[in-house]
Order: sequence, then C-alpha cells, then structure tokens
Amino acid sequence: MKNSEQLSRLLITVGLLIVIALPFVARSVDTQDIVEVHARMAESGGWMPGTIQAQTGIPLYLRLTSDDVMHGFAIGQSDNPAVDVLPGKITEVTVAFDKPGTYTYYCTRWCGPNHWRMRGTIEVTGNEMPSSQAINPPLYIKLNLDIDTPHLASATPAVIPDAQRGAIFSALLPDSYLLPDYYLSHSPAQVYLDVQVDPALATLSNSDLWGLVAYIWQSNTTPEGLTEGQRLFAQNCAACHGETGNGDGVFSADINALAGKYPANFSDPASLLGAGPALLQGKILRGGMGTGMPSWGPIFTNQQTWDLVSYLYTFQFK
Amino acid sequence: MSKKQWFFAIFVVLAGMVIVFAPLPVHATAPTQRTFRVEASQYTYSPAILKVNPGDIISIELISTDVVHGLYVDEYGISVTADPGQTARLTFTADKPGSFRFRCNVTCGALHPFMIGKLQVGPNTWLWRASGLTVLAALAILILRPSPPKAQVT
Ligand code: HEC
Ligand SMILES: [Cu+2]
Ligand SMILES: [Cu+2]
Repeated sequence: MKNSEQLSRLLITVGLLIVIALPFVARSVDTQDIVEVHARMAESGGWMPGTIQAQTGIPLYLRLTSDDVMHGFAIGQSDNPAVDVLPGKITEVTVAFDKPGTYTYYCTRWCGPNHWRMRGTIEVTGNEMPSSQAINPPLYIKLNLDIDTPHLASATPAVIPDAQRGAIFSALLPDSYLLPDYYLSHSPAQVYLDVQVDPALATLSNSDLWGLVAYIWQSNTTPEGLTEGQRLFAQNCAACHGETGNGDGVFSADINALAGKYPANFSDPASLLGAGPALLQGKILRGGMGTGMPSWGPIFTNQQTWDLVSYLYTFQFK
Repeated sequence: MSKKQWFFAIFVVLAGMVIVFAPLPVHATAPTQRTFRVEASQYTYSPAILKVNPGDIISIELISTDVVHGLYVDEYGISVTADPGQTARLTFTADKPGSFRFRCNVTCGALHPFMIGKLQVGPNTWLWRASGLTVLAALAILILRPSPPKAQVT
C-alpha cells in the first residue's frame, strides 16, 4: 500500500518535471543552430554577427537579411551556390561542413568600393582532419618569392605573342620548358630570355620565340580553366581592374582615393610579363596589404586562383 | 459681338479641334539599331531620358558605379540588373510609341523609389499640339477682345 503510494508520487513528480522541461529542451533543439545574420555595407559595420560557431556534421541554419542595399552570401572555398540577401526579405540557407577550420563568408553582390571588406568567419570545430589547403603553404612562400618588389619585364614583345605561331615550332622546344614547375616559377619575360639563348631554338625570330612563350602558357591551361577564370574575374575583379583588364574599373578612382593606388593594369606588358604565375597567385591569395587589392586566399580554392592566373595572361597572349 | 467676330469664334474652335486631334504627319524613319550607355548610381540614371523612334531596336548597356541597380521599363515589362564591374545589356524593339518611365527595380538605398528615367518612343506630339493651342489662344484674345467704344462725333 505505502509502496504503491510512493511510486505514484514519484511518477507524478517525474511527469511534472518532464512537462516543465519540455519547452526548454524543444527550444534549444529548435533554435540552437538557427543564426540570424544581418548584412550591411562595410562602411556601416558589415555582417552581424561577424563570427558564427558551427560543428562538423551538424547543419547550420542561417536566416539572412539586409539592412540597406542588395548583398549576397557565399562561403569561401565551398561549393554552396551564392544567394542574394535583400532588404525586407529573409533568405534561408542551410550549410554543413565536413572539415574543421575557419571559413570565411563574404558578400557576393557589389555594394560599393568597400564591398570586398564585407566578410565574416565561421569557426567550425570537429575531430576530422582539416583541408589540405588550410595546411599547405602557398607556392610563392615555398619558392621564397618576394611578391612586393617591382617586377618590370626585362623584355617585351613588339606584337601580341601568338600561341598558334609558337605551336608551329613546338617540335623544336626542349621538353623541360613544358614542365609545370618551370612554368609556375618563371615570368614570361624570363622564359623569353631563356629560349632566346637556347641553341635548340637559335634559328627562330623574336616573334617566333614570343610565340613559343605564349605556347608554353597555353600548354599549361585548359579551356575550362580559362572560362572559369573569366567568370571569376568578371564577378570579383572587373569592378576595380576593369572589364578589359585595363585597370580602369568603375571603382578605380575610389580605390586610389581610399588606398593611394590604382588597380593594376593587366594590359601593360612591362608589368604583367614580368610576373610569373606563382607571383600572381601570391598577390591574389595575400592581397596588396593596404593598397586596396583584396586578399582572396580565404575565398577561392587553389584551382580557382590558378584559373584566375591563367585568365590574367590572356590580356597579353592570344 | 459682330457677325465677323462670331465667324472668327467658330473658326477658333474648329482650329483648336484640328490641333488637338489631327494625326501628325508620321515621317516614317526606317528603324535603326540604337545603343545607349546608361550609368546608374545612387539614385540617378545618366542619361535619364532616352529618345528613340518607333520600331527601333534598342540596346541599353547598364553600368552601375556604386551598388547593384536595375532598370525596369514600364508597359514594356522588361528589366536588367547590373552589378558594378559587369555591364548588363537589355535589348528590345521599341514597338509601343509613347512616353514611358523606367525605374530601378533593385532596392538600392533610402531614395531608391525615386530612381527613375524616361523612355520616349516617337515624337512628343503633345509638345507641338500644346504650343499650337497657345498661339491660337493668343490670337483669339487679341481679335475677340471687346472693341473700345467708338469716339463720339459732335
Ligand atoms: C577593390 C579593388 C580591387 C579588386 C576587387 C581586385 N583588385 Fe587586384 N589590385 C587592386 C589594386 C589597387 C592593385 C595594385 C596594388 C598592388 O599591386 O598591391 C591590385 C593588384 C593586383 C595584382 C598585382 C599585379 C602586379 O603586377 O603585381 C594582381 C595579380 C591582382 N590585383 C589580381 C586581382 C584579381 C585576380 C582580382 C579578382 C579576384 C582582383 N585583383 C580584385 C585592386 C583590386
Ligand atoms: Cu555587400
Ligand atoms: Cu538603384
């Protein structure tokens, strides 16, 4: 008799506790991973919050909205498509990470000369191995390149070098010139000086030799890579560097006023032909350190930066 | 009012109706391809007035110089969106004559609703008709005003 009374008291207490606790548990399950993110132009504070926590394998729910103009949202080095973030509307996205690390999320719609400063971080914890790109140093560091010294080309062609012309003489070209390592670490001007004194190519004219240089560059690129490079350039670089690479994008004057430097002009042979792929990649990854040139390292995958580098050379070669 | 003045009054009314309703001689300009480079910035278009002839093939290159803007043409119901650095193109045939607003259709800041321009397809006939009516009215006032009392002869 007494026992059963105690048992029922216990049951009632436990039942009550569960009922009281239920809303709390439910709420924490529901909202734990829903993060509301507000977008504002960089001048008015950028993203809020600027840092988001997440865990590998657990989906992160984001509710995005804008407090001023149209922005966009994407996460660097990920395949998630970019979404637009509009004032007065809410865009919901769900993202998941399978590797721990610090990810950068960024604005994808141009919202002024400081648009690229609109970035935030997502700190992802977990026990998996971090991605290889996060661990391996970039090539310019391995090659010990100083990417800040001026790199004027010591030789420039009289006319735009033509890879098709170079292809005619490609049979004469020693294989060592076509190795990726050689291409990555040399500027076109250096390669020109090398082929100029190569006995195997002694019979060729200057424009044939420049054609060979263009051919070497072409051999290290794929049409898909160029298309991707062109797309990335139009979206991320043309507002400063100009749609035709002339350094005269719609923000070039603003950037000069803000940072005291005009965006580089890729149609100038003396400048671009003096820079090798590793140097250009280094500049893209690290940025111009206060010159207005953004650092793209946290945004692009390695492959995307190489695609951009290949595309930049198309302003000099055909 | 004298008989003469009555005739004149009727004449004025008829002439006014002609000015308002007469179809203007349409000088049939052969449709051409026209390209406009329109710069969009908070909160204006430059140029903000585009004049074309009916039937022309219009190509608008929209260039944003600050934030993302759009261009939507009323009645035609067509639009483009331009990010800075990425020239956007809108090509269409101006097959509806008249005067149409175009407006920004991307929220681009506080004064976004006031970001508008005008597409003028064909001559602005109301300008001519209105000036015709003004001249006529001036004439009528001059001629129809009550004649001053005749000088008394003693
Ligand atoms: C906000 C403006 C801006 C944007 C956007 C921008 N750049 Fe730049 N970039 C600059 C400025 C300014 C310089 C010159 C300063 C310097 O050399 O550090 C520069 C320099 C460079 C250089 C160095 C050129 C050289 O010869 O040393 C490279 C390479 C480059 N940009 C590539 C890119 C690529 C690729 C993108 C797009 C993914 C990009 N930039 C986007 C402003 C910009
Ligand atoms: Cu933005
Ligand atoms: Cu606008």
